[in-house]
Amino acid sequence: MLEQILCIDDDPITLMLCKKVISKSSFSREVITAQNGEEALHHFNVLKYAKDKAKKRPELIFLDLNMPIMGGWEFLDHFTSQDYREFNTVPVIVLSSTIDPEDLAKAKKYPIIIDFLSKPITQPMLEYLKKKIDL
Amino acid sequence: MKSKTLQITLIYTIISIIMAALCHKLLTTYFSSSEYLYLSLIKDIVFILITGLVFSLILSKNEKRNITIFEKLNKTNEEIKESNEKYDIVAKATSDTIWDWKIQEDSINWNKGIEGVFGYDPAEVGKTSKWWFDKIHPEDSIRMSIKLYSFIEQKTEKWQDQYRFRCADGSYKYVLDRGFLLKDETGRAIRMIGAIQDITKQKEEEQRLKLLETVITQSKDSILITEANSSERRIPKIVYVNPAFSQMSGYQSNEIIGKSPNIFKGPKSDSDELKKLLRAIKNEEECLIETITYTKNKEEYWVRFSMIPIFNNEGVISHWISIQRDITDEKKLETEKEHLIRELTQNNKDLKQFSYITSHNLRAPLSNLIGLLNLIEDIPIENEELQEILAGFTKSTHLLNETINDLVKVIIIKDNPSMQKEEVSLKEVFENVFSQLSFQIELHKPIIKLKFDKVPELITNKAYIESILLNLLTNSIKYKSENRKLKISITAEQIEQRTILTFKDNGIGIDLERNRDKVFGLYQRFHNYPDSKGLGLYLVKSQVETMGGTISIDSEVNKGTTFTITFKN
Repeated sequence: MLEQILCIDDDPITLMLCKKVISKSSFSREVITAQNGEEALHHFNVLKYAKDKAKKRPELIFLDLNMPIMGGWEFLDHFTSQDYREFNTVPVIVLSSTIDPEDLAKAKKYPIIIDFLSKPITQPMLEYLKKKIDL
Repeated sequence: MKSKTLQITLIYTIISIIMAALCHKLLTTYFSSSEYLYLSLIKDIVFILITGLVFSLILSKNEKRNITIFEKLNKTNEEIKESNEKYDIVAKATSDTIWDWKIQEDSINWNKGIEGVFGYDPAEVGKTSKWWFDKIHPEDSIRMSIKLYSFIEQKTEKWQDQYRFRCADGSYKYVLDRGFLLKDETGRAIRMIGAIQDITKQKEEEQRLKLLETVITQSKDSILITEANSSERRIPKIVYVNPAFSQMSGYQSNEIIGKSPNIFKGPKSDSDELKKLLRAIKNEEECLIETITYTKNKEEYWVRFSMIPIFNNEGVISHWISIQRDITDEKKLETEKEHLIRELTQNNKDLKQFSYITSHNLRAPLSNLIGLLNLIEDIPIENEELQEILAGFTKSTHLLNETINDLVKVIIIKDNPSMQKEEVSLKEVFENVFSQLSFQIELHKPIIKLKFDKVPELITNKAYIESILLNLLTNSIKYKSENRKLKISITAEQIEQRTILTFKDNGIGIDLERNRDKVFGLYQRFHNYPDSKGLGLYLVKSQVETMGGTISIDSEVNKGTTFTITFKN
């Protein structure tokens, strides 16, 4: 079981569902959330400058694409830059309702994205991910 | 001559008789009979001597005159002979056909040309002018004879004419006939000699050139011919323009000949294209340009313009031929078309974006609903009414989800007309499809016959072929007859270069009389079933066509339906 994961989505119901399904599947002990990319980056900034280096860090990110203020792609551009290089081992799973083939093609250009999944998050989906990341 | 001889003889006889009578009288009167005999002898001798002298005088005079006449005759004869020989040589040497017509006697003679040129056997050739006139083409004969007779009557100075003359084989040759009159002392025409020249080749060439010329004069394209003084590196002078050019440019031919085509240049002319033209002129090469040019009234128009160099026998450029066409309308249409395409492309892009956004926005809350329903499943519910309501809720949500997923598939197919193909095992495809439908198959237990041993593998898109079979199978189950057990037979065959998939059921069928055009349409429903979405066959057709195949349907109400899918290999 993972210690902590981060769900980034503007929709509170999605976040609620994530939390419930993840806890039911024993996928992660803790689920923290952010409502958009900016909020998520803020969280990583805090971690970056935290005095307590032992503080928990997300081991996986579920990322939505369409969000206000800062969308998924913009978040990824920042997150994969030099500024956040200490977090570049954290895998990202896109969890979206998009059907635009361009999004899929774009996702292939980010090595950090390990999967591209369609909402809603389900228990079988988490079982599949467990196998994939060797939990 | 006879009368003169008679005269001399008469005079001589009279004088001789008078002399004889006179001598006889003198001798009988003055001399005796003995003397008479003697004197009579002397008188006879003297008389004979005198007459002999006179005769010799006359004869010698005549002889002299005869010699002169004979010599004169001889000379004339020689001259005639020589002249005849010359005529014969000329008649033989010339390729012309010579005729010699004695007008009063109406007898006409032809030289060898009538055989050589026109192919007549000497025996066929007539001896009168009628034969000649008969051989002249009916359309030419009246005109020809009017001209000929007015020459014979000396109303005209010269005679030459062109007409068609019939050959022995019935064909006609164009001839040029020239003739001269011979007149007697009174000035009356007695003989006419003429020479017929075969001008068929020239005439045919002339007609060919005339025909070619009509191409230029009648052409709807403008044609312009210029000189070729390319050394000066400027557009050379115009020597010819056709009527189409005058109509296009507004310049009459006399206004433009001798000028340089530079006058068509104007502020909006494309200087790059004109440079191209000048370069081609310099290099003596063909070229094609499009530019705005100007009429006489300074109105602009678009012209497509080709320049072709014409070389003479020595390989030196002699002229430029330019063929031009007014393409103003074409250009206008092209611009409109480009504008339309841009607009349509933008519209299409907007619509695509719109459909992606819409489906995303629909899918987002729907996926929440599904997620929430999944969570409820794990919560035990005692209340039966609530259970029923939730069951309905779940069913509707899943139907909505399926519909939206189908729509998304349609959108994606329409957006990506090309897709990946791979070698697909039909066995595997059927296994996948059956496992997805295992619940319905278990429920209705249809008899399914599969026959694809002829085509175990197919180069196709796996997702599409699965979706197609899933849709068709779902339809068969959905629209099965309640009166009989559902039978489905699926076969794959290879016929020549085509793979044919046949999908046959014994369901309720579709009334094709009424619905043939709509079967594969979007949102077409033929039966009042609550979970029919009117998307399935539209999706099937789109997928088949995207893979380059065709689909057809054959159906009879209450008998069943057969779908035939054909893929070209």
